[in-house]
Amino acid sequence: MQYVGEHIWAADLGRGLTALSFVFALLSTLAYYLKGDQWKLLGRLAFRIHAISLFGLIGTLFYIMAHHYFEFDYVWKHTSLDLPPQYLFSAFWEGQEGSFLLWMFWNAILGYILTYSAKKFEGPVVGVFAAVQAFLVSMILGVYLGDMHIGYSPFILVRELAENVGLPWTQFADYLERFPNFADGTGLNPLLQNYWMTIHPPTLFLGFASTLVPFSYAIAGLLRKDYKTWIKSALVWSFFSVGILGVGILMGGAWAYEALSFGGFWAWDPVENTSLVPWLTMVAGAHLLLIQRNKGGVIPAALFLLILTFLLVLYSTFLTRSGVLGDSSVHAFVDLGLSGQLLIYLLFFTIGSLTLFLARYKGLPKKVKEDRMDSREFWMFIGALILLISGLQITLSTSYPVFNKLFGPDGLITLYDQDKVLIDPIEHYNAIQVPFAIIIVLLIGAGQFLSYHRTTTTQFFKRQILTLILTTIFAGISAWILDMWNPMYVTLLWCSYYAVIANLEFWIRWAKGNWSIAGSTVAHIGFGLIVAGSLVSNANKDVISQNKTFIHEEFPANENLLIHQGDTVELGDYWVSWTEQREEGYYQRYVLEFFKEDEDHSGELKPAFILSPSIQMNERMGNVAEPSTRHFLTKDIYTHVTYADMRSMEEKGTEEWKNAFDIELATGDTHFLYGKYQVRLDTLVVEAPQGDGNLKYAVLGAGLSVTTMEDSTYKIMPIYAVQGDEGQHVDAEIKELGLKFSFDRINYESNRPVITASEHIEAEEPFILIKAEVFPWINLLWIGSLLMALGTVIAVTTRLRGK
Amino acid sequence: MKNSQIAIIIAIAVLIGYTLVRLGNSSTYSNFEQATASLGVKTTVIGYLDTDQPMDFNPKTITLTFTAKDKKGNESMVVYHQPKPQDFERSEEITMTGYASDSAFIATDILMKCPSKYNEENEVQSDKIYK
Repeated sequence: MQYVGEHIWAADLGRGLTALSFVFALLSTLAYYLKGDQWKLLGRLAFRIHAISLFGLIGTLFYIMAHHYFEFDYVWKHTSLDLPPQYLFSAFWEGQEGSFLLWMFWNAILGYILTYSAKKFEGPVVGVFAAVQAFLVSMILGVYLGDMHIGYSPFILVRELAENVGLPWTQFADYLERFPNFADGTGLNPLLQNYWMTIHPPTLFLGFASTLVPFSYAIAGLLRKDYKTWIKSALVWSFFSVGILGVGILMGGAWAYEALSFGGFWAWDPVENTSLVPWLTMVAGAHLLLIQRNKGGVIPAALFLLILTFLLVLYSTFLTRSGVLGDSSVHAFVDLGLSGQLLIYLLFFTIGSLTLFLARYKGLPKKVKEDRMDSREFWMFIGALILLISGLQITLSTSYPVFNKLFGPDGLITLYDQDKVLIDPIEHYNAIQVPFAIIIVLLIGAGQFLSYHRTTTTQFFKRQILTLILTTIFAGISAWILDMWNPMYVTLLWCSYYAVIANLEFWIRWAKGNWSIAGSTVAHIGFGLIVAGSLVSNANKDVISQNKTFIHEEFPANENLLIHQGDTVELGDYWVSWTEQREEGYYQRYVLEFFKEDEDHSGELKPAFILSPSIQMNERMGNVAEPSTRHFLTKDIYTHVTYADMRSMEEKGTEEWKNAFDIELATGDTHFLYGKYQVRLDTLVVEAPQGDGNLKYAVLGAGLSVTTMEDSTYKIMPIYAVQGDEGQHVDAEIKELGLKFSFDRINYESNRPVITASEHIEAEEPFILIKAEVFPWINLLWIGSLLMALGTVIAVTTRLRGK
Repeated sequence: MKNSQIAIIIAIAVLIGYTLVRLGNSSTYSNFEQATASLGVKTTVIGYLDTDQPMDFNPKTITLTFTAKDKKGNESMVVYHQPKPQDFERSEEITMTGYASDSAFIATDILMKCPSKYNEENEVQSDKIYK
């Protein structure tokens, strides 16, 4: 059948380029594997063709997304006509297929560079790249072998989806015009319509891609039994990787802090953890390469860490994309049913590289003599080891869902009959990782005063007297200002200051501002500040919103504050007023005006600043709160709306009167109504004329007095008239309060009148609950992040120049 | 090998040991019956909202009370002293961390899984064909 309006050429082009790119990646792997100059030339050519077809296929996908060809499933799911053009990139990598493409894109670029720069290692290095690319392209192949499908193509049409094949609507040649569903796509998830989504994934994926370079060099070294000449190149690339991956991870933290209401920048979520771990091992590996270059003797450990880093990236990919994390992560990808393929990918490289490593292990150059305890290399090695242990701990704890799949009740081998779970992950990770962090920052500081080979004790202490004094003074003052005396925290604070000051002092006083180590100094200072900033902003985080209405002895004071529209309530050092609510696109914004008491203690309130936290009405994930933060030099005030009535007017109902409530009263009784009024039955008036010995009719009036909190009293009398079995009500209204009273009936058992009270719809004041937190000194974290990034840039460029 | 190096290896071994001990500290998912059997002990129960029973959120006291059914069918009243999560009524599954008291399960943390409206809207309305 000839379908009307489909852009089949784009599907053909995209799939053709995918196939081309896959075949040439395989060919390149094979050609590079076979030795000889001819083969090498072929391998290089094949890799470049692979890369160019990959760029072509990425271009094609961009084209169909930019032109809204909604017959394509990927276009339909991730874009819409009203998608602002600047979010086209975000839409591109929102899905699994697109993010695989992003990763492959960086691998292709790095591989392309290496075809020029790797020189005599080009064969094995680019060969490994080609093999990795072959596996990655296979994830988007979208071909069927019998019942098994390999990969999931972004060029599949909606009508070709397995669940749609054979449905009646696919029989219409003009289905695109006939069915309104195809007129517009579902668009990019509003949560991701954010500039962070434009810059965070590319940086992170470049970080992931960059871990492949040192890995390839390590494999190349093992294959060639050359444990020397590649170190220099690998060293530059590993620090490049440390920098980019580090920035990518921190960007994720900044995004979480600024735009998502996770309550901080780091939540120990599995997805965060599995990107942090390769960074830790890469830092360890890169420092081992430094030892190797300056002193030697750590080749086995260095090779192991560089290999492990890439394997951990693969493991991270497996965890986040296979669906195995399921409930335990808030931001894993949607499962595309690629878990088998991902597992093969992971196992192939794990088994392949570790087998090679073990096979070569015996021949690896080892230490001739043990390191001295007073040498820099010894302590750098210990530092690397701690980073490795820290990374392994995070990996183990993050892998619970995997253990459950393997050994749980429905697992392969049932070792326990109930799934295991971490009850309080944040507490769990912090408790273990804080001691590791202490050792690491301590070593970053002390390491500066140690020399390679050996250092005398007097030398070591003499050099850093000033540092020790300054650190103690600053840490003491800080702890005093913050009133933070937890021994573990104070130790970490001292050690992180020590790292900062030691590096500064060493660089200025002992290295005389030597440019060649400026990069490491700046990066280390940055890391010290990151640790100090994370510690202080988390440990001294202060929830300033407190619910004063209800504090039960058993429960901690609730950390949410109720604000009625127009009210001004106390919030920490401030007074806050919810003045306005407005709708902006997907957002429902709540404008909070903050006031501060005048400094002359007159009690007068002066406007301080305005925050507008919002709730995003997100059709796909439910409504999501987005925080609003006021940044100060020494602290941030972070607010988000934790509860708001999001019902539309229709859902709330059009009834004018609501909250009907029956009160039964004897004369003289009072009742507390709606938590704000006193209702008293003053008198009951009855008129019941008798005629012919029978009751003709009865008119009953309830004399009520209603007293408000402000002590104003209203007197009213709702009336109930009965004749035979028919009754009539004359209701009484208090317009000012929006209250209505109706004399409903007489309760014949108690012989008391029953009054129905109801509230006017407008009398119900709208309210929201907000949570406000103060993060002190969080700027140290951001300054540290910038310095660490800057430091790695300096380090990489100085090393490139010194090559 | 020097004594000092042995000392350091021991220190590392202690760290690893500490890590493993902490790992063993994790808990398993339980149900209301087990939670009630050990009052006051923190645990995690997976269940779903029983919509036949009343659910109430009092914003003044910030108390959410509802009835949940766990996977084994045990019912329990749950009290949660936090704002009612968005779309709570629509939740398919609720993961409640907290402890049992003699009258109700006191949840300190709630995670929910919601069906995506997106998926419902995602189908081509093929019934229109026959109109």
